[in-house]
Amino acid sequence: MIWTGTPKSKGPARLLETRRLLSLVLIGALVWSLASVDWGGGIVHTGGGDAIKGFALALFPPELSPEFLKVALAASWQTVVHAVAGITLAIVIGLPLGIAASGSLGTPGRSSTALAVAVRFILAFMRSIHELVWAVLFVTAFGLSSLAVVLAIAIPYAGILGRIYSELLNDVPQGPLVALRSSGASPVRVLFYGRIPMVLTDILGYSFYRFECALRAAAIMSFVGIRGLGFEIQLSLNDLRFDEVWTLLFFLVGLVLLVDYWSSRVRRSLQS
Amino acid sequence: MKQLKRGNITFARASLYAFMALAVGSWAYILAGADSGLEDMFSGRAWGNAGGFLKQLMGLEDSLTDGGRPAFLDLGRWAETGKLAYRTLLMSVLAISFAGVGVLLTFLPAARNVSNGELGGNPSPALGVLYHLLRFVFAFTRAVPELVWAMVIVFVLSPGVLPGAIALGLHNYGIVGRLSAEVVENMDPGPARALRSAGAGNLQMLAYGIIPQARAQFLTYLLYRWEVVIRTTVVVGFVSAGGLGREFRLSLSFFQYTDVALIILWYLILVVAVDLLSGFLRRMVRAD
Repeated sequence: MIWTGTPKSKGPARLLETRRLLSLVLIGALVWSLASVDWGGGIVHTGGGDAIKGFALALFPPELSPEFLKVALAASWQTVVHAVAGITLAIVIGLPLGIAASGSLGTPGRSSTALAVAVRFILAFMRSIHELVWAVLFVTAFGLSSLAVVLAIAIPYAGILGRIYSELLNDVPQGPLVALRSSGASPVRVLFYGRIPMVLTDILGYSFYRFECALRAAAIMSFVGIRGLGFEIQLSLNDLRFDEVWTLLFFLVGLVLLVDYWSSRVRRSLQS
Repeated sequence: MKQLKRGNITFARASLYAFMALAVGSWAYILAGADSGLEDMFSGRAWGNAGGFLKQLMGLEDSLTDGGRPAFLDLGRWAETGKLAYRTLLMSVLAISFAGVGVLLTFLPAARNVSNGELGGNPSPALGVLYHLLRFVFAFTRAVPELVWAMVIVFVLSPGVLPGAIALGLHNYGIVGRLSAEVVENMDPGPARALRSAGAGNLQMLAYGIIPQARAQFLTYLLYRWEVVIRTTVVVGFVSAGGLGREFRLSLSFFQYTDVALIILWYLILVVAVDLLSGFLRRMVRAD
């Protein structure tokens, strides 16, 4: 780059200041957090060293008996079921909310109608609370059931998906929309024949990406007592069966990587 | 049907159908299960319970042991839980620091164009092995949820902020590590190669050829992840006994529902504050 002596908007001294300030803030945060931890004795359990050793040794070999593999497979299926149900419900809730939040049903060119702002606030609230906190609240309110868990995954994920959908819907090129409008299409028609077809592949790609995250969310739902990979991990940890824990961890990692690979292939094929 | 012949379209379409089949199967499995909770959704009793719970959260209906006024109207309780909120914030910063430092130390050999010598330097079998090893570590740490890491770590470390921060740090290390390695893989190789051919060592190449290009995106990813981490601190606190999470569990099990409401309020305050702060810092990253 040729130095022309006129940087973007601010003088060189100012640029330097921003960078120095930022580094100072980040290093300050690091030092503050490290200094606030009580590093004096008692960080490691009595017996913590043995636990590490036991855990490492249990990897050779992990528990691979057919009965246990069947348990792990059943647990994986439970986790997949909750993840799939959660993400489909999240899409069903998130799509209409995302359309409302994009404001594309209002007067053209204005995205900040009262409805859109209100829906955006609701979406922000839904995704502010972690899925497991939702789960604890739902289980306390409704009792332990699969639907409570599915709902707990669906609500924060609908909050995330709705926000992304609305941003996608707002970022479409305006040309085709103007053409539709000038031929007399109503806002609803513009939405269904203009905006949605243009962003459909992005919507699909992003939803598939979120499916991978939903899988992890479903795995930890065990914490409220629903069956699945997390539940079995907890049981095996309680029994100090670290060899079983390793097997279950590999099932979980394999499942997540499989979905990760699947979703990245879908996204790549949608892009081309 | 002509466009169906293109392989890519058919793969995406087949995936969509496969996912739909999976969705139908999953819903059928859940709704057919004994503990689906479907009947509860239509029974007045469950909704009555839920309504009662909501009233107790808001302090409109006395819960069994609460007595007196709701916790969120009590300044003393605000101060007590405020300390826990401070520790929760500390946990999130510590977790992101661990992840950030860990990634800084390892992201370079995990980029394919570094390990195969595309950026200059000699590819060696050791570098190739290191590349695959690091990619596996990223994938493994990323695939295991924070809560599961925390459950394992409390076997080794005493309860507190530290095990929670390490659990969160491990998971985010995998995520940010992979993204950062991809940033290096996608970056313009010119400056690094020029430095290399001018005789720069590894550290010099890192400091002048790669960090300046990758810095902004690395920091942006870290700040984005911080926003996610603050939401997850509470969950990790359930098992690692640090901050608001532990208090949340305790209050729930003692039926002190107005305390639960107070903790959720603090939690929302933290989430909003971190979102704002992270947004501000991200604008600063972009500005320079």
